[in-house]
Amino acid sequence: MTFSPRIVGFMCNWCSYAGADLAGISRIKYAPNLRIIRVLCSGRVDPYVVLTAFQKGADGVLVAGCHPGDCHYISGNYQAEKKMKATWKILSKAGIDQERLGLEWISAAEGQRFADVVNSFTQLITELGPLQADPQKIASAKEETADFRIRWLVGREKDLLEEGNVFGEPVEEAVFETLLDDVVSAQYIRNSILTVLKEQSMSAKELAETLEIPSHVVVEHLIHLRRGQKVHMVEGHPIRYEVSAW
Amino acid sequence: MSKSEPRIGVYVCHCGLNIGAVVDVAAVAQYAQTLPGVVVSRESTYTCSDNGQRSIQEDIENHNLSRVVVASCSPRMHGDTFMKTCETAGLNPYLFEMVNIREQCSWVHTDKEQATEKAKDLVRMAVAKVRLLEPLEKQKSAVNKAALVIGGGVAGIFSALYLANAGIKTYVVEKKPSIGGHMAQLDKTFPTLDCSLCILSPRMADIGKHENIELITYADIENISGYAGNFQVTVKSNPRYVIKENCRLCGVCAEKCPISLPDEFNMGLKKRKAVYIPFPQAVPNYYLIDAGHCLHITKGGCMLCQKNCPNDAIDFEETEAVRELNVGAIIVATGFELYDATQKKEYGYGRYPNVITNMDFERWVSADGPTHGKVVRPSDGAPPQRIGFIQCVGSRDEKEGAVYCSRICCMATVKQATMLREKYPSAEIYVYYTDMRTPGKGFEEFYQRGREHGIVFIRGKPGEIEEDDNHNLLIVSEDTDSGLILRNTLDLVVLACGLRPPEALEELAQKLHLSRSPDGFIMEAHPKLRPAETSISGVFLTGCVQFPKDIPDTVAQSGGAAAMAAALLTKDEIELEPVRAAVDEELCIGCGLCEENCDYGAIEVKKTEEGMKAQVIEVACQGCGVCAASCPQKAVTVRHFTDGQLLAQVTAALEPEVIV
Repeated sequence: MTFSPRIVGFMCNWCSYAGADLAGISRIKYAPNLRIIRVLCSGRVDPYVVLTAFQKGADGVLVAGCHPGDCHYISGNYQAEKKMKATWKILSKAGIDQERLGLEWISAAEGQRFADVVNSFTQLITELGPLQADPQKIASAKEETADFRIRWLVGREKDLLEEGNVFGEPVEEAVFETLLDDVVSAQYIRNSILTVLKEQSMSAKELAETLEIPSHVVVEHLIHLRRGQKVHMVEGHPIRYEVSAW
Repeated sequence: MSKSEPRIGVYVCHCGLNIGAVVDVAAVAQYAQTLPGVVVSRESTYTCSDNGQRSIQEDIENHNLSRVVVASCSPRMHGDTFMKTCETAGLNPYLFEMVNIREQCSWVHTDKEQATEKAKDLVRMAVAKVRLLEPLEKQKSAVNKAALVIGGGVAGIFSALYLANAGIKTYVVEKKPSIGGHMAQLDKTFPTLDCSLCILSPRMADIGKHENIELITYADIENISGYAGNFQVTVKSNPRYVIKENCRLCGVCAEKCPISLPDEFNMGLKKRKAVYIPFPQAVPNYYLIDAGHCLHITKGGCMLCQKNCPNDAIDFEETEAVRELNVGAIIVATGFELYDATQKKEYGYGRYPNVITNMDFERWVSADGPTHGKVVRPSDGAPPQRIGFIQCVGSRDEKEGAVYCSRICCMATVKQATMLREKYPSAEIYVYYTDMRTPGKGFEEFYQRGREHGIVFIRGKPGEIEEDDNHNLLIVSEDTDSGLILRNTLDLVVLACGLRPPEALEELAQKLHLSRSPDGFIMEAHPKLRPAETSISGVFLTGCVQFPKDIPDTVAQSGGAAAMAAALLTKDEIELEPVRAAVDEELCIGCGLCEENCDYGAIEVKKTEEGMKAQVIEVACQGCGVCAASCPQKAVTVRHFTDGQLLAQVTAALEPEVIV
């Protein structure tokens, strides 16, 4: 039997969900793989929910909102775009093809476009095949979407680019991208360490071997995690680390 | 919320054959019965019918249901219907969830098995969500009992008068210096041949003097915020540089003004001065100075108008005025723009003097027009003897970006041809048409009278117009009824230009957050049942801003829009959607990201005894949920769309075996 992907969609009530209704009213046929979850605004779609969908076995996730400038609210779709861009970065850390998370703008008048988007997205995911990601990596990526630093940075992006930082200096988009990349990378390693340590305590060397990263990098992040009281040392030989109780 | 296990009723609708023909409704209903918490699961032919609704209400009572799921059409279609059903039976309407197995399942899939599986999945997802729903109470908000009508054409004039006559304070904001719109430019109206201004100008005058109407002309909408019952609108009026109270309409200023410009009201066929009155019946009826062309304003000096005005009416010190209007409802009546015939290069409008548009024709034939009502060949002033009308110019023309029919041009042409026949009984009049469309009271009769009066209707759209040395126009066309190729030399050609959404509509639609249809006009809330409403509560539509329509239909829709606005404005308070953000103060650390991300200023970090905490301003919150998706602490959520509810839907979609 050919592979039939499982796709979860988040559609904003005002544009994309209405576009899906219009496709129905116009009797336009499309692939039956998508399961739509209605939200009021694409800006409501929390990357954490997206990662949960992947964790639960979605082969693709499609987020759709109003066209730029046409948000039923004011800039919810802009916020959605920022969040999904960060989620793409996080997905690639976990070895998940970024294309598995689609972001599209579909208006209430675009029934045909809705059907076309669903068909081409379903086709794309079918070609990519079933999601075969390492559960530990997805778990780390999911933790990352809940991470304070990343959520703070993504939430501040619009302001940093447009209004500037605390010194009133606007941040260039490229600089912001690099910053976000760095934070996503660092946080991904920290989450991976935590995910592994939740299973069993380990020494820095063992962590480095398990996660296939140089041990000096592991140590650097362990220091940060200790400072944040996320892990603590267990005395002995070698020194092992375990996750601190919250 | 009761802590006990929810008691869920699931109702799967056949919708006649709309769902039943593709989805195995019985199988879905049986499947639903197996889901946790489902006490009753039924199929019904039409759940929205009286019987269908009563069955839900009886179950709520007899089975003590605490949650209801209806699997039928889109919640955008009948969500409200079933929420009321629950409410009437004493169940909080927010303990209801709808599953869309028609628009998003049976109508878009053909494979019965796959469609049935999808329907089961969607029902399971809804059951998972409904278990977690919480009862919500609607908040009340006071209604500001004033209305704003944007646009002062026939659509705006009538809606404003209906509202004002019902005792409602109404502001009318018009972009141009006078109200009247396109209807004021027409000479006569079809099919009765009433003089257009004779029927419109008394109503225009009513607008000007009505005690409940405040008219703001020559003004733009700068900004709109708020919600139904409580909109704040910023309006900027451009300076006219003329003091209304002093202007006696003597016209000395215009006589003395050295600047001569094309008169827009007369489609550029006449000239006006830089100080002018748009047309004699203009409301408000006083002069204004065209700042873009006035010699004094652009270059300094001159001031001949001021020096010669016998009544000191000219005031160059006037500046633009910005004001805030607080209204409870808004009616959008911004009308249309005529298709720009110069785009249709093959017909030579703008190059061939004897090719004119239907709106040009209205001015030529008007007693106020350039020739006092005498229709002539613009090239030599001779009376035309062979006249052609070309239909569907810029309409039903995909290449020109409009697939739709503009609805009024056929009848406008029949009217214009009939008027020509009266003026030139022996002239040859040809109408080149695609299809003649005359659906309206008395329209077909009017068309048939035109045929009886010797107007020749040729089915076939000419490909191009050529001009000879004497500015005669050569038209070759196929008569698709007979298959003959016709060659015709004409004195005058009138292009029946279609109606387009105004260019400025895009900006206004964005300010009001209104959706537009593929044709560019504003999308109504429902094409059949809510044609005068929009997706934004409290914002209504009338006239050609929704789609091209004739005057009777426009006036009828204005009545509808005004009635709906009045229904809102006569209430003392309205209920606000309770789907709003909520903060868990224990988790909140007062970082302020939500406040920064909120476009409505609806969440603020405030000092509390527990430290800095975010607080939702309920009346301002629109429920979009950007704050909830951003909160680094996951301390903010949106009621009815909580993380837990979304995650339950995701889990139910992907892990059918996991019992929620």
